[in-house]
Amino acid sequence: MSRRVTSYIPTLIAITVLGFYLFPIYWMYATSLKGAAESMQYPPTLWPQDITFRHVEVFNNLGMGRYFWNSLVITCGVVALTVLLGTGTAYALSLYRNRWIDLALFLILLLQALPPSLMVTPLFVLFNMTGLLDWPRLSVVLAVCAKSMPFYIVICRTAFLSVPSELREAALVDGDSRIGVFFRIMLPLARNVILISAVLIGIQSMGDYVYSRSFIYDTELLPLTVGLSTFVGAEATNWLGIMTYTSILVTPILFVFVLLQRRLVSGLTAGALK
Amino acid sequence: MIGFIRDRSGFEILLALVSIAYLFAFAGVPFIFNIVMSMQKVEMMNLASMQRPFVGLENYRDVFANPDFWLIVRNTLLFLGLSTIFQLCIGLALAVFFSRDFLGASFMRGLFLAAWITPAFAIGQIWKWILSGDTGLLNYALESLGLIDGPVYWLSDPDLALYAVIAVNIWLGIPYYLLLLSVGLAAIPGDLYEAAELDGAGPVARFWTITLPLMRNTILALVALGLIFTLQQFDLIAALTSGGPVNSSNVAQFWSWQLSFQKFDFAAGSAVSVLMLFVVVFISAIYVASTRAERSS
Repeated sequence: MSRRVTSYIPTLIAITVLGFYLFPIYWMYATSLKGAAESMQYPPTLWPQDITFRHVEVFNNLGMGRYFWNSLVITCGVVALTVLLGTGTAYALSLYRNRWIDLALFLILLLQALPPSLMVTPLFVLFNMTGLLDWPRLSVVLAVCAKSMPFYIVICRTAFLSVPSELREAALVDGDSRIGVFFRIMLPLARNVILISAVLIGIQSMGDYVYSRSFIYDTELLPLTVGLSTFVGAEATNWLGIMTYTSILVTPILFVFVLLQRRLVSGLTAGALK
Repeated sequence: MIGFIRDRSGFEILLALVSIAYLFAFAGVPFIFNIVMSMQKVEMMNLASMQRPFVGLENYRDVFANPDFWLIVRNTLLFLGLSTIFQLCIGLALAVFFSRDFLGASFMRGLFLAAWITPAFAIGQIWKWILSGDTGLLNYALESLGLIDGPVYWLSDPDLALYAVIAVNIWLGIPYYLLLLSVGLAAIPGDLYEAAELDGAGPVARFWTITLPLMRNTILALVALGLIFTLQQFDLIAALTSGGPVNSSNVAQFWSWQLSFQKFDFAAGSAVSVLMLFVVVFISAIYVASTRAERSS
């Protein structure tokens, strides 16, 4: 009996550590559920006593609907453009191994390292000169996409690498065209990895702050993250409202994360290590 | 031509070139343009025009002469160094712990990533609330433990702000090290540990003689990549302190943005950005070269 009990000790320690680690996320939800008086009370209550839902009210009062819509437009734009352009490149770079491919991969990996906060200055001036800034959300999509594409190519390339080359050669011998092989054989086989990478890039684009903050000046076109910063700028100590806003922003992302946890984790691992 | 695309490698070359052209246009060109712009006189008046007076290295001289320059260099080094050391040590300790085979180990290890995947700007707001001076949870906890007497203003005290930002950044980076070090740990053959145990090596000796030497290359690669991620951190600083009070928690990547977009001094912003981009490219070239060499050997 005591043997069985001790075998659970590491699990209990792990739960405690994890609980401590993720406590800030709990604290956000706990604060957002408190009543107005309770939220400012000091000492604070660890567990909300006077549970109040004001998420819908905050959502409507701050016009979060349009922020949500803009985040959705930017996220979908980035994901669509990245998948459309990146998948083929990942496939082409997985086929051969020579000096040119190596050089291309080396440059792609270097591009992945460029911090957005440093690239935003030249991008802003370039977009301003070319008139692209007249379409601020498109500017954000183009900039975020340049950031996410290398990551996407790297992950998808490993998926194409794992497909046995005999499959492709057999289809070519049977008279299928190169185009046919890509669409009918390779794409379906890499479908899962493409989906997971697309979700990861979607999450990343939804959290974009630098580009949206620097390119978008029309309140009607702001995404959720910059909308939050405008709200914080106006009401810096309204913690109840800020935590409610934050929880509305974070919940869809955490929901997707919990749903696809195992696959997202392995996708991230592959992307960072390769 | 159509035959070349349909039946020979034309189609594949085309596929490769599409996004390489895209990346060239939206990352390569801005990168080069940035270097050119950092040597020009850039003003609000000529922001939209192609023709700008060439001033050589004057913008760089101005940046070096800026009274805050060395403060920001120091902050950036502290931010990079302290974040990396603590993230690595805590991440390694957790990775070793979670590599033991207990109920729910891999599931719970994955849950740590919830913090990493959440937009950093939102995470920053949560921490700002926890760290807030008068009503913050941290001050309450420390006060109940008897560790402090009055409220500590973590984010508005110039002596503390940088360290508070670093502490939150450490928290944020732990899952990255935990997860990727776990992958490295799993690759160490179990018989090595069994043999060492038979020879009488305790857990601590096993860690120093087996785990660390075998993990050396993984750790070096992850640190290089971790440094790059740390240099990309912007949202957290924007949410917590915006570099303040009076630049006491400002770091180079945030300063560059501030110079361009809050002081509208695009010339200085791009000079700082060029300097930092060279640092980033240098670190990542080492990283990429080392991982390639390792795999081809």
